[in-house]
Amino acid sequence: MKRKKLKFIKIIILILIMLFLLFPIYWMLITSFKTNMEAYLYPPSFFPKNFVLDGFINLFTENNEFFVYYFNNFLVSFVSAIITCLVAIFAGYSIARFNTKWSKTFVAILLSSQMFPIISRMISLYSMMSKLGIINTRSGLILAIVAAQVPFCCLLLSSFFLNIPKEIEEAAKIDGASRNTILFKLLTPLVTPGILAVGIYAFLMTWDDYLHAATLIQSDNLRTLSVGISLRYLGELSYDWSLINSISVIGTLPMVLVFFFFQKYMVKGLVAGAVKG
Amino acid sequence: MKKHDIKLSDNSYSFVLTIPATILTAIFIIVPIIQSLIMSFQKYGVKNIISGKPGTWNNLRNYIKLFEANQIPEAAYHTLWFVLFVIILQFIIGMALALVLNREFKGSRFIRSIMMTPWVVPTVISGLIWMWLFQPQYGFAKYFISIISFGNINDLAILNNPETALGGIAIAALWKQIPLTTLLLLAGLQNVPNSSLEAATIDGAGEVRKFVSIVLPYLSPVIKIAMSMSIIENFKQFPLFWTMTGGGPNGATTNFAILSYREAFVSMNLGSGAAVTTIWMLMMIIIVGIYQKSFKVQDMS
Repeated sequence: MKRKKLKFIKIIILILIMLFLLFPIYWMLITSFKTNMEAYLYPPSFFPKNFVLDGFINLFTENNEFFVYYFNNFLVSFVSAIITCLVAIFAGYSIARFNTKWSKTFVAILLSSQMFPIISRMISLYSMMSKLGIINTRSGLILAIVAAQVPFCCLLLSSFFLNIPKEIEEAAKIDGASRNTILFKLLTPLVTPGILAVGIYAFLMTWDDYLHAATLIQSDNLRTLSVGISLRYLGELSYDWSLINSISVIGTLPMVLVFFFFQKYMVKGLVAGAVKG
Repeated sequence: MKKHDIKLSDNSYSFVLTIPATILTAIFIIVPIIQSLIMSFQKYGVKNIISGKPGTWNNLRNYIKLFEANQIPEAAYHTLWFVLFVIILQFIIGMALALVLNREFKGSRFIRSIMMTPWVVPTVISGLIWMWLFQPQYGFAKYFISIISFGNINDLAILNNPETALGGIAIAALWKQIPLTTLLLLAGLQNVPNSSLEAATIDGAGEVRKFVSIVLPYLSPVIKIAMSMSIIENFKQFPLFWTMTGGGPNGATTNFAILSYREAFVSMNLGSGAAVTTIWMLMMIIIVGIYQKSFKVQDMS
């Protein structure tokens, strides 16, 4: 009797929390397929009466600057992810294998730099990058974003390097392999799951970026997704909610696909990075 | 090339490998942080950026003005309230979900996987989703509340009311962050040895007792890390506030992030913005420090 009651409570808890987590996604999806008239019905309808693609068509025909932001976001996220991976391979290996005085300091620097709010950096980066002439450029934006991802990603990848037995490396050394051969030809393939985790993490975080792009980019044709959406589609007075929900669906889709496709690596990586690192 | 390689000592090789990361971190994080500390004591506006002239010392004017207008205390209050509210509920709900999902049952793997969806939704879009749910005339939340209150509350406009707006943003933050907390707690639950739980069951311990004296201690390192990540993230939260309320209504949701962004990039008073971030960082360091010191991890190994 008591067991049954416990099981019942567990099922109720599960249903309530899952409803809280998933209902908003459902609501976004169905609103994107409603006409604006129907979206403004009260009480709301739980399934579109007329299943239409108005929001999406509107996006492709009238509001297609959205795809400029979308493309920029892809470009910036992809390049940032690749650079972050490269930097993390070097530094992650160094942290994992060599216990020098500098590596301790280095880890301390990485750990503490994760804590500072982005805005406090942007205030001086804004004037610094204006002087250097790399403000309002994609490469400037990418560099600033990569720097923001590097601390966590280096620590994350180092936990993967740590899991490789040292013997492998020593055997290769005896066979006369150079340091670079060991790192790039031998060890890097072995930490592929870690590199994927870092790459996907960096991609997701950059896709989500708001503050770097908001402060460093001024031209509309260089804007990325989050800033583009909030500047162009969130008018003070009128909201076209069916359009906004279509934007939300398309803006979320790549993240969902990337995450679920690589979920195995991603989950392992997040857990390794947070719990062990 | 090979000869050179062998000559390279461990020390220098490991140092060389860290150079790219060090340069990036130094140029884009460390130096700007120090510079903004300096700027917080200066009169530094848009004129200085255009002309390239350095800022001028202004006798703590930035700080004095922010305190005189009561802006810093208010931002501190909003920030702390938000952090506390979110981390407590996040821990309770995340823990409940992790405990339920810790057993294998039909569909448990599927649920563990789709539960992560809110975490991958971009923050600005999470803000939009919840703005739409909270929409004052046609929003789902208004309808939902009017039904569960049996028609007593019919005009819920959570983001437009200064008393509830912060709570509205907190709900969106919870929605986005609970999945990761649950994921980490679930991973931690794998480390709780079944043998101890079984032994306790044989000794007649109830579920609550087992949870408090076996599960929690084994889980404490994971809890400590998950919560500290959450404290830092919510202390820094900007995009949700900026899209959902922009700091309003009537300044009721102006946290440190919004205040510093407004000062620096809307009023273009960079010195004043830097002063806000300086106090903000100081507070964060103190609070995270106290948390790290006072949270005792039980050693179960």
